[in-house]
Amino acid sequence: MKPTQIRGRLWVLTDPQGKLYDDIDTDQIFHNRYLHITDVAQMGQYALDNLKGWEDFARKARPGDVILAGKNFGAGSSRQQAVDCFRALGIGAILAESIGAIYKRNAINSGLPILALPGLSAVADRFHTGDEVEVDFATGRVVLNGKEVFQAEPFSQVQMDIYQAGDLFAYGKGMGS
Amino acid sequence: MGYTFAEKALARKAGLESVVAGQIVTVRPDKLLTHDNTAAIVKEFRKIGVARVADPKVNVIVLDHVVPAADETHATNHKVAREFAAEQGISAFYDVGEGICHQVLPEKGHAWPGAVIVGSDSHTPLYGAVGAFAAGIGRTEAAAVMATGQIWLRVPSTFRIIINGPLPPRVSAKDVILRIIGDLGADGADYRSVEFAGPVIRDMSIAGRMVLCNMSAEMGAKNGVVEPDEKTREWLKGRVTHPYEEIHADPDAQYERVIEYDFSDLAPQVARPHAVDNVVPVTEVAGTRINQALIGTCTNGRLEDLQAAADILRGKHIAPHVRLLVLPASREILLEALDRGLVRDLVAAGATLLNPGCGPCLGAHEGCMAPGEVTISTANRNFKGRMGSKEAFIYLASPATVAASALKGVIADPREV
Repeated sequence: MKPTQIRGRLWVLTDPQGKLYDDIDTDQIFHNRYLHITDVAQMGQYALDNLKGWEDFARKARPGDVILAGKNFGAGSSRQQAVDCFRALGIGAILAESIGAIYKRNAINSGLPILALPGLSAVADRFHTGDEVEVDFATGRVVLNGKEVFQAEPFSQVQMDIYQAGDLFAYGKGMGS
Repeated sequence: MGYTFAEKALARKAGLESVVAGQIVTVRPDKLLTHDNTAAIVKEFRKIGVARVADPKVNVIVLDHVVPAADETHATNHKVAREFAAEQGISAFYDVGEGICHQVLPEKGHAWPGAVIVGSDSHTPLYGAVGAFAAGIGRTEAAAVMATGQIWLRVPSTFRIIINGPLPPRVSAKDVILRIIGDLGADGADYRSVEFAGPVIRDMSIAGRMVLCNMSAEMGAKNGVVEPDEKTREWLKGRVTHPYEEIHADPDAQYERVIEYDFSDLAPQVARPHAVDNVVPVTEVAGTRINQALIGTCTNGRLEDLQAAADILRGKHIAPHVRLLVLPASREILLEALDRGLVRDLVAAGATLLNPGCGPCLGAHEGCMAPGEVTISTANRNFKGRMGSKEAFIYLASPATVAASALKGVIADPREV
């Protein structure tokens, strides 16, 4: 069993005015100039390098870190590199107020923990880069700096099953399909 | 109780009497589309450890994103796709020059009413224009579908958007969908199925319906769909030769939202940089100086789009400082445009004709921008940096608006040229 609770250092994706970024699209996460890359290990270095103020994210991120973003994270292209770049960096989980539909599926199918945190914008000022955050995938409980509690949408059953298996392929083999 | 299109289409595929929004079902898609990313998907497929694709008749591969190959890496990816198609006996393989996947797939008869189609491209919902349930998926999923023939899907809840009109002259499907995205927002239809209905849709060509379903992805939709009618059947004649059973939403279906518009005095619409939902009437941005104009892409590279542009540019010449790029969406459209003299009209007016394909839309080649430059484009995305420089600007509009702007050298109202 993989852990369903993780603890990590938080990155709050804010714009130059300090406001939580909404609509971070797949071109900002993984720019189309790198689309020819097919090796996942090579993708991490380009994560967020087209998002103003976050060009050096890949050099600063450590395995287990947690990302927090605003509405419609991962909108746009179906490119899975936009998920794989975070897997390559070992990101522990992504929390966002809402998530682009294809992006969410890609994350689920790749076994990258991703949770929607509805109502986040109203409490966004509570979260700061460098905070410690605990995320419980089964209950959706998010604990900030060991004190404040927020409620994200927990994993669905299929999301948990794929996560536990590792990814969609491992899950499919387990199902005997 | 009645059911939506999505509920009925997925229930039938799942072999269930009925399904409701929110339910997770496993289905066997009728078609799986992959494009230049076939190379990356093949790499994933090899990891699964099965030698053969589940059913080679399901696979449709179209090379379109960077064609002809811009460099050695792209050429190598194309080669992998070509060799994979041959090895696996995939007959629906369309090489460089056939056109954009979303145009080629329906043209070649791989989409039909009631079909379930998944594709490793976010604009896959376009096939809803012929009454199919079509959704974009990622690379891992595409590889899994190749190997197993199956996919899990959560049945989406549905918005029904009813459009009354008629549309004014020089206002087209692109203006309709830009206005809707501007109203609902870039995540306004997140994971929803969107049914487009009403008199304007009934009057609309299949090409126009493709514009709506294509861009439903830009408000986060899982799929977009137009109920099949006589126009659909006519368009599919000679393309789809096997029988199919149409799916129509029930009159008493349960919708999450029903949204009704009267677009009888809709103005041409423009999405400003750098978000597709940053939409205003053309009058608000008229006069903005442009460097480049693009007519083409999976959104607006069809015959009626080239016709609309040619009608504005015929016998005239674009502004001297403007580069006008024209890309028919497919070989079939290019041939028809040649026969009708549209290519001559456009090239004589100063256009640069590019080969059918995605071209500069995704910023890989054939028309990238320098810092500070402005393009007005008929494409579906204006994300920062999408067409080259991060410091460049993309406006989205209809073919008529783009043609009028190329003529004037500034963003221009097509009703005034």
